Amino acid sequence: MKLLRDLLPIAAFALFLWFLPDLLRAFAGRASVSYLSLVTNGVGLAILALSWDILARTGQLSLAHAAFYGTGAYVTAIMARHLDLPLWIGIPAGGLVAVILALGVGAVTLRLRGIYFAIATLAFTEVLKSVFRHLPTPFAGGAAGINVEPLFRPVFDAATMERWEIAFFRNEGYFLLYALLLIITILLSLITRRSRLRQAFTAIRTNEEVAAIMGVHPARMKLLAFALSSFAVGMLGAVHAHRVGSVVPEGSFSVETTVLALVTPIFGGLYTTLGPIVGAGMLAGIEETLKRNLADGYLIGYGVVLILSILFLPKGLVGTTRAWWRRRQSKSMDTAEEGSA
Amino acid sequence: MDPSLILQAIVSGVLASGLYALVSVGLALAIGVIGIVNFAHGEFFMIGAFLTYTLFVVFGIDPVLAVLFVAPALFLLGAVLYRSTIQHVLSAPELNQMLLTFGIGIVLQNLALLIWGGDPVSIAGIEYRSVGYRFAGISVGLVSLVSFAVSLALVIGLNLALTRTRLGRAMRAVAQNRTGAALVGLEVNRVYLVAFALSALLAGIGGVMIAVIQSPTPTIGLAFTLKAFSITVLAGLGNIRGILAASLVVALSESLVATLVPNGGTLSNAVFFAIIFLALVWRSRRTV
Repeated sequence: MKLLRDLLPIAAFALFLWFLPDLLRAFAGRASVSYLSLVTNGVGLAILALSWDILARTGQLSLAHAAFYGTGAYVTAIMARHLDLPLWIGIPAGGLVAVILALGVGAVTLRLRGIYFAIATLAFTEVLKSVFRHLPTPFAGGAAGINVEPLFRPVFDAATMERWEIAFFRNEGYFLLYALLLIITILLSLITRRSRLRQAFTAIRTNEEVAAIMGVHPARMKLLAFALSSFAVGMLGAVHAHRVGSVVPEGSFSVETTVLALVTPIFGGLYTTLGPIVGAGMLAGIEETLKRNLADGYLIGYGVVLILSILFLPKGLVGTTRAWWRRRQSKSMDTAEEGSA
Repeated sequence: MDPSLILQAIVSGVLASGLYALVSVGLALAIGVIGIVNFAHGEFFMIGAFLTYTLFVVFGIDPVLAVLFVAPALFLLGAVLYRSTIQHVLSAPELNQMLLTFGIGIVLQNLALLIWGGDPVSIAGIEYRSVGYRFAGISVGLVSLVSFAVSLALVIGLNLALTRTRLGRAMRAVAQNRTGAALVGLEVNRVYLVAFALSALLAGIGGVMIAVIQSPTPTIGLAFTLKAFSITVLAGLGNIRGILAASLVVALSESLVATLVPNGGTLSNAVFFAIIFLALVWRSRRTV
């Protein structure tokens, strides 16, 4: 029943995303090409952030998100290079291999907590980066990486199209794929928020021993969170590989990806579905502005946001707003009661 | 395998362990006294290196003299960061503290990228940089030798200071029992401030050395944070005494992998991270 109540706003959001490219094209014309790639980045950031948050709900602060992202990217790139299959198959395959990897990492790091878990997952990502760099070059491209074919090749038709519309239609394809992944991620997130998993995850986060005594199975729950968290981000890595046309070890397993994945939900509001999405919307805008003005080092914006969020907004934008709203409501109820008394 | 090659690897590893110990001891100080696991620690090290570079290139100041500027500068940076940020999360959950220092690390690293660009910088044209000695087929650089000696002296000096001086005893008291230390009249917050600033200073001095030994880039910080962290874990979190031995283990294994394994130069980092990962996992299985 609760899930049904959520489906309406999600359907509306999906519809909005579906029509967004056409709206942009109608109103912005030629400029819509770059607007579309900006909103695609924003949607990608939302997927990164929301999928990271699903795992964070069990209290495990992972620094391995780039590992799942990079694995998805490499799986699709290697499949496209060596197998004669339709390109799109690489995307769910990337997601699945990321899940298998996540289950493996999750299983060996089950007993690590807090800072130890964070360091172990970061070290794991670095190892994986190195492994892909040292795989045989004909197989995985070595340090130079692999070129990846684009998924969409719009055909130019001089009678009905203008030149810039080729770029637009290509971007539109990726945007719609990203949007689909975001909807999937939102659904995965809501499943853990609206079912008994929510209590299970929260119990493990708050006190694992007590949770185990109360009948929650911490190992099983953490592995489930790992799987849910890595599936979407693996597919995102795969689609992104097609979008930019290549995978390289340094880029696909970059610490940057992990930083984006964790700063966004902390800023937007941890352990919520809305928080990471709102955070992504705002941070994508900030990032774009910074990238235009700073060559290297745009990540400084994420660092500043992280510091300020921890110091001043420990509950994030959404959490703080909700707390404020609840306070206001209870205050107005108090005054109503006083009035009637 | 040529035995002198192995001997050379061992000597290089031992010499490198001094610098590792110096950087790690600062991290251990912050963990042991304040209870903060500082993800930005390696960035202090990196900033120390780039300040040294700038002092040399812009003002022509020799790195040996640059220590006199870099050390106070890093102490000040540590103090300012403590007052403005760390101090406010002392009673927050451990993960918030970690994330805060992670954020500080991101800011410092990218600030350095903005100022110095992403390419490696090198201090060229100092005579003593290329001075070396050879005994029995093993070559030893003067700079590595001196940096090893200085690092060792600083680490031992810190150990002595913690047991012999008033401030050192205050730090240990605060580390053992914050409330108790406050009750007997110690200004806990001031002790924390000094400990954190000192930890940055030690990393900064390490940075001066790396600027002469290698050609650093602004992104070396994170790797050193991880190395220092694994050394402190190996030594026992917050245990300053075990640092020297743990540094020796880490530096030796790194140097041996780089020499003995074909293509080891690029792999040594991966091996290192694999060791951290396995050590953490093994440790977590053993204790329960």
